Amino acid sequence: MNNQAQTRQIAEDAAHFLVLLESGTASADDRARLQRWREQSAHHEQTWQKAQGLRQRFATLPPELAMASLDRPDLGRRTALKRALIVAALLPAGWMLAQQAPIAALRADMRTAAGDRRDIRLQYGSLLQLDTASALNIELEQGKRLLTLIEGEMALNMGKDVKAMTIKTRQGRVQVSGAELCVRQLDDGCLISVWRGDVELFPEHGPSMRLQPGQRATMSAAQVSPAQPFDTRQPGWRQGVLSVENQPLGVFLAELSRYRPGILRWEPELERLNVTGTFRLDDTDQILQLLAASLGLQVHSRTRYWVTLAPGKASV
Amino acid sequence: MMRQAVGASAPTLENFYREHRSWLENWLRCRLGNAWDAADLSQDTFVRVLASQHSEPLHGLREPRAYLLTVGKRLLINHYQRRSLEQAYLQALATLPETVIPSPEQRWVLLETLQALDELLDALPLAVRRAFLWAQLEGLSYAQIAERLKVSERTVKRYMAQAYTHCLMLEP
Repeated sequence: MNNQAQTRQIAEDAAHFLVLLESGTASADDRARLQRWREQSAHHEQTWQKAQGLRQRFATLPPELAMASLDRPDLGRRTALKRALIVAALLPAGWMLAQQAPIAALRADMRTAAGDRRDIRLQYGSLLQLDTASALNIELEQGKRLLTLIEGEMALNMGKDVKAMTIKTRQGRVQVSGAELCVRQLDDGCLISVWRGDVELFPEHGPSMRLQPGQRATMSAAQVSPAQPFDTRQPGWRQGVLSVENQPLGVFLAELSRYRPGILRWEPELERLNVTGTFRLDDTDQILQLLAASLGLQVHSRTRYWVTLAPGKASV
Repeated sequence: MMRQAVGASAPTLENFYREHRSWLENWLRCRLGNAWDAADLSQDTFVRVLASQHSEPLHGLREPRAYLLTVGKRLLINHYQRRSLEQAYLQALATLPETVIPSPEQRWVLLETLQALDELLDALPLAVRRAFLWAQLEGLSYAQIAERLKVSERTVKRYMAQAYTHCLMLEP
């Protein structure tokens, strides 16, 4: 056995004993075997001490801080990045840049990547949430109570004693008090949905309008569209799901692709199909598999970050 | 420091540096989107390449730019990793109640420890990494981990063994 293989064998032996002990399934025999193993060679004992040292290192860390850092939400992206870099040599240099958000979004106070969602607790029990691929500026010091949504979607659930706040979008501002609402920046307007509280919309150049709980409306710079009712009980991205009823597949996929890093394409003829269901956003690959299975589609993945959906053989 | 290292060595090194530096910096800037980090990383890349020239002499390099890119890419990935860890760490710090926020020195020591552990765990699959962290940091039992990951306890044991073996192999 060469050196490398021997080191690996010893590490594996030590790991085996550690797992036995930790899982609570170690018998008296196992403990005796471990003792003999440790005494068998200096290298064994050293490795065992190393393992104890490793556990000690973790044990002395403040658990929340360490967990938040080592199990951070963009770990998946990191793998994406590695793969992207591996293929980068094959792609023109501009490709990586094209995937990045606009400059204003890069400089934002709070930002999420595709597939990320983030919660922030504000003072006095307010909860601010940011959906996938979103950017937000927060100005809450010195009497200011301003949030500026740069792109994507945010949700605000205001605490009981919080004073009125303003949410700015590209088309105007939203004045909120004691409210729970979502604001989504679209290409040519913004969509405001209200669950609770006082919400008034002020388009840049048009008359203002109040929204009631259970209503949503789109605001352009010139006006607010008539308010539409929506089902406030239907779960959404804040619950980590995408929930739809009889939605055209094209609309569904466009929405789904916001939650995926990389490129998602589909054949236009698929758009006549409809989707119903509640899908967990944690694993969009799985959603694609589900769709493929239930609608008889074919999923072609060049890489995980370049997926094309085509009609299945059966449906052609 | 860089100049000394170059000046003290054979002139081929200086040529090598002069010929490829701005090209590499450009390549890195395209990826990083900022000139300062690109300059830093390009320096680091050359330092690594120069440091390793004993094993692979520069004049023997058939495709120096391909070699630089290999080293550069590795550093770039590390850079992103450190950056993302740092961001997550600072964000977590910001949410701590004031009374438990560590002192500035403690904060840096802690960040360094976390970076070292992050690198140590880097090559592990996400599920293995999570299982290991939950056991070490949150003290979860294997049964609890199995439930969270929606896998069997047998699988958790395999994950833990994999993580331990990996760490023990890498730790000096």
